[in-house]
Amino acid sequence: MRTETVTLFLAMLAVVAQVAVVVSLVLLVAARLGVARDRVRAIADGVAPSALVLAAAVALVATVGSLWLSEGAGFPPCKLCWYQRIAMYPLSVVLAVAAWRRDAAVRRYVLPVAVIGAGISTYHVLLERFPSLEASGTCDPMNPCTIRWVERFGYLTIPTMALSAFALIITLVLVAGREEVAP
Amino acid sequence: MSASRTDNRRRARTRERKANLVVIGVGALVVLLAVVAVLVGSGDSVPPDEAGEVQPVEVAGSIAPLPASGNDPGVGQEAPRATGSTFEGQGTTVGEGPSLLLFVAHWCGHCQKEVPVVTDWLDGATEVRGVQIRAVSTAVDEKAPNYPPSAWLEREGWPVPTLVDDADGSVATAFGLTGFPYFVAIDGDGRVVARTSGEQPVPVLEALVDAALGQG
Repeated sequence: MRTETVTLFLAMLAVVAQVAVVVSLVLLVAARLGVARDRVRAIADGVAPSALVLAAAVALVATVGSLWLSEGAGFPPCKLCWYQRIAMYPLSVVLAVAAWRRDAAVRRYVLPVAVIGAGISTYHVLLERFPSLEASGTCDPMNPCTIRWVERFGYLTIPTMALSAFALIITLVLVAGREEVAP
Repeated sequence: MSASRTDNRRRARTRERKANLVVIGVGALVVLLAVVAVLVGSGDSVPPDEAGEVQPVEVAGSIAPLPASGNDPGVGQEAPRATGSTFEGQGTTVGEGPSLLLFVAHWCGHCQKEVPVVTDWLDGATEVRGVQIRAVSTAVDEKAPNYPPSAWLEREGWPVPTLVDDADGSVATAFGLTGFPYFVAIDGDGRVVARTSGEQPVPVLEALVDAALGQG
């Protein structure tokens, strides 16, 4: 499979994830301000039953995508990429089991991991944009975290895609929490 | 009682149906994006041309890697000599003094920031107060960003004669490179007098020139 095709596909998924997160935030703010509160509640109620399945799918695609980028495309993961993998890979299993069991209480375990992952992704994105943030001020000749192996639509790098996935997982898990179904 | 149970069951079935519709809708969107990616992403890459971006080199001698901290064991050692060619195919040698060597990697963000600083500092010159400024392009990776290095340096208006390292980074290894960008100051006797890595401002570059002149 061609690297360009896969990275374009992953980038488009990341854009969809970003749009979903931004729309969710706008709806949340609108509801808090009392604008169309019933409609927002109806949308959330409509998505809630499938939110865990979608979150598991996001984590699975992110996991498979990251494995493909390193094993298929040959982009070696840097130290920060590995930290993000540590956060993302277990989510694909935990969320799949939670979706199967309809266990919305899983958010108590998923949210801390996803928030930590999103934090690392944010730092990685900043490092890519501003290499001077690195205390050493040098590039590791072996595999620096400042290197942008992929850049789609002028801004979508691998950690940006990871951040989008973490943000969407956080959003979906919060939405799923609306209906805590006992396991 | 029975009517309320039927109502609940009906409500649950409706919710189930809605949930399935959401998942099917998202699945359809993902399939659509995959089709778009296959159609659009199949013709937008140009096969990289690595000809000239790595070249054979001859290297004589080597010095220890630059340590992260503490005394530099390379200082006072005879500098390695490396002979090869520039991107344009002209023969060139690095390691003779007095000179200041700068090692760059095209994918390194710090190198991308440092090259314009050095370019402005030199203002078209290739030596400063009699000290030759030389560069080495190394660690070339055609899959990495900002490839090829020859095009990048040309874009930056890089005035410095640049030796093209081989695919193994033999010149970089011989000079003990441990991070990019990497600087080596060599005095008139061909001995290493200073090494440093990372982005450096002009006063540090001037200090490295002073060191190469024995004034440091």
